Amino acid sequence: MMKSRPLLLAAVGLVLLGLFPVLVGNPYYIHLVETISIYAILLFGLDIVVGYTGQVSLGHAGLFGIGAYAAGVVITHFPDTPFVLVPVVAIAVTALFGAVLALPALRVTGPYLAMVTLAFGTIIQILINEMDFLTNGPMGITLTKPAILGHQLDVREFFWVVAFLLVAAMLVVHRILRSHLGRAFEALRGSPVASDCMGVSVYRYKVYAFVVSAGLAGLAGSLYSYSEEYISPNTYNFELTVLFLLAIIMGGRKTRSGALLGAAIIVMLPKLLDDIVLFRYVAVIFAALVLVGAAVFTAKGRSTWQRAAVPVVGSVGLAAVSFRLSNIGDWRLAIFGLITLLVVYYLQDGIVGFVRQTLGWRGHGSSDANDAATLPAPAAAVSTSVAVAATPATQDLVAADKVLMQFGGLKALNDVDLHVSRGTIHGLIGPNGSGKSTMMNVLTGIYVPTEGTITFKGQSIVGRTSSRIALAGIARTFQNVQLFGEMTALQNVLVGLHHTYRSNLLDVALHLPRYRREDRAATARAYALLKFVGLESLAGEEARNLPYGKQRLLEIARALALNPELLLLDEPAAGLTAPDIKELVVIVRKIREHGITLILIEHHMDVVMSVCDVVTVLDFGQKIAEGTPAAVQANPQVIKAYLGGELEAPAAH
Amino acid sequence: MLSITNLHAGYGKVEVLQGISLEVPKGQVVTLIGSNGAGKTTTMRAISGMIAPRQGKVMLGDIDITGRESHRIARLGLAHSPEGRRVFATMTVHDNLLLGAFPRFTGARAKGDIAADLERAMEVFPRLKERRLQLAGTLSGGEQQMLAMARAMMMNPEVVLLDEPSMGLAPILVDEVFRIISRLRSEGVTMLLVEQFAAAALNVSDYGYVLENGRIAVHGPAEKLKNDPAVRAAYLGGGH
Repeated sequence: MMKSRPLLLAAVGLVLLGLFPVLVGNPYYIHLVETISIYAILLFGLDIVVGYTGQVSLGHAGLFGIGAYAAGVVITHFPDTPFVLVPVVAIAVTALFGAVLALPALRVTGPYLAMVTLAFGTIIQILINEMDFLTNGPMGITLTKPAILGHQLDVREFFWVVAFLLVAAMLVVHRILRSHLGRAFEALRGSPVASDCMGVSVYRYKVYAFVVSAGLAGLAGSLYSYSEEYISPNTYNFELTVLFLLAIIMGGRKTRSGALLGAAIIVMLPKLLDDIVLFRYVAVIFAALVLVGAAVFTAKGRSTWQRAAVPVVGSVGLAAVSFRLSNIGDWRLAIFGLITLLVVYYLQDGIVGFVRQTLGWRGHGSSDANDAATLPAPAAAVSTSVAVAATPATQDLVAADKVLMQFGGLKALNDVDLHVSRGTIHGLIGPNGSGKSTMMNVLTGIYVPTEGTITFKGQSIVGRTSSRIALAGIARTFQNVQLFGEMTALQNVLVGLHHTYRSNLLDVALHLPRYRREDRAATARAYALLKFVGLESLAGEEARNLPYGKQRLLEIARALALNPELLLLDEPAAGLTAPDIKELVVIVRKIREHGITLILIEHHMDVVMSVCDVVTVLDFGQKIAEGTPAAVQANPQVIKAYLGGELEAPAAH
Repeated sequence: MLSITNLHAGYGKVEVLQGISLEVPKGQVVTLIGSNGAGKTTTMRAISGMIAPRQGKVMLGDIDITGRESHRIARLGLAHSPEGRRVFATMTVHDNLLLGAFPRFTGARAKGDIAADLERAMEVFPRLKERRLQLAGTLSGGEQQMLAMARAMMMNPEVVLLDEPSMGLAPILVDEVFRIISRLRSEGVTMLLVEQFAAAALNVSDYGYVLENGRIAVHGPAEKLKNDPAVRAAYLGGGH
């Protein structure tokens, strides 16, 4: 029932799109909508990079150009190539360049990445211009609409081809982004460190995102060359790349409708600004909308007149000025800039995001929660099938020997031995800055120790990447909570379950049985894990909106999703109140009962004393004591360095 | 000094605070107790303008600060030391402290003797003196917490909001944090305190409020709350 409204809307949209060239015979408008569709295909891809993985790309006009020229070159040099192959070649070639563009993204982010991708776009434009023998240089390439099986497509038929590919691209992109792949992309944005520690390789998925994104740019480019019937190097310039980025920002990132709207805006707005009469109408309507919106918001108390003043004055002013202008051509860019400024400043989630917020629609989270009701909760939340027999019980699960971790002149860990027996809860305590978290980071591959050996299940893990270590069976939580904030609680746990998926892009795009089976299993398990930590009722809530204590529990659920043999908890009780701590202790004990070994960093001595089998104490990067909790607690050196004289006062009330 | 009436606030569709009222009289330390998710941090955020209250009133002295931007509220004399010690990591300890006094340089607050206050901060927090020229990001967790508190004091504030000052600190440092709070209290600093160690917090407070699901469930003098069997059982760790 909940789903019928969007489905109906989609059906109406599809019919309108299909009938458009029949209803509107004018080839100008057909071409306009065709261009919007082509841009939208590219923007779906750009949104993967910008909206989901949180990277900036100013190289997408370049990729668009590569797609267009890949098509152009194939058609001019191999005229007999069947039409269906041309976009395939364009996608493949552009995807390859996408992988190249991803390389800098692995090293730099933010403004630096913007600079690098901008340079990429510029180089591509120059290469197209200079490589005469392939691209016909500045003269450009002229081509005709394609033929399918000997039938020459006319304007209207080609429109249908584009419309079909638009719908197909939208469906595929939507499915990818809703799948484990999409969650992996989004996780990169939320917290790269946590992604790696959940076995989702940041390296691999950044490249993956750029490749998929470039593939779509390639498809769009090839269609564009057919649509325009002429391509030349100067189309794919800086202005276009900025327009693409603006379309995402104005439309609204992380939505397909935002990309469609953005595409419509960047195609229509420049045309609109060519015609002064039309522009006057639009400016007046725009001003009226802003005025009504501001009045409603102020009346509802969601805004004040002071805040609403600027957009109201701005839009009314724009409408007034439009009647004084006789020639709009000179003012085009300024007006375009002004509108952009207003939208970006006031609607930070884009137009779609703003509308959703205003109407109280929820994003993807709520639909997951709806799915919840229909899912049976499996009996066993945490796998009991941990391979206890794999190594003899006497052997240590983790053996770290003579570990030295040096940062410049500082020895954060100095000659530390840590042996953790299977099935135990091993406490790690010590003053702030004594090296406990450094030890965690060394064990999970975030730092590579300067010297020393570390084995896990008898195999060395020194120098392995975090994601490989995670997949080998070491999961962790973080001292400063590292959740994927914009994702729901359920999605966070599902990122931890990424390793259970074997489905590839094709399985996801076509929703083949393998993907559906894996997704059902993972979702059920994610619910079970949320239930295990008592968060099942908050499955659909965004992680950043959860209270601190619940965030800590969610991190534990996410870590358990890795099906670990060793779980590292870094200050799980920090910020928890007494009753919550009791709950935590119960959960920690339950985890051990499932055969999982734990290393626990904690300052709450009551927790450490009640659950740990062995406690290791660090001070200034060195081990100063090790033994049973009682023995450690009585150790004078530990009291002096860590516990303090008034042990009974706040710590163990 | 700080008075809140019928405050409602939340995130997205979730209404965390469902109409709470509380008073922090001048020169007193008031502590907020409650389980995770009860709304303690949200209360702090709504007071200091980090989120906009949906309903209700926040008064700082005679000034209505409801829904004002946080930097304006800060300039009126409300210092917020947020959960998770947000120090300026790439600046020195010294510069962090001077930034705390920023409203005094711009004339938003009475200037007084900034140099003397700096010396006093170093005296109250001796660890910071040793690390005066070190970058704040390289401090240990405990030292960062000290810095966040000292920085809040540098404004010469009317009211200080301390959110979980002992979080993530070694027991020995937890003791020190409470000693410092108790010292500031004896010097007449007005404070609203949220602490995981509720019993220890009540020890250094004059008055306490217990938050349950976004509403005030119980309130009373700290001494009385500490001996209230229901409060002890639910929030003070069993009372053994």
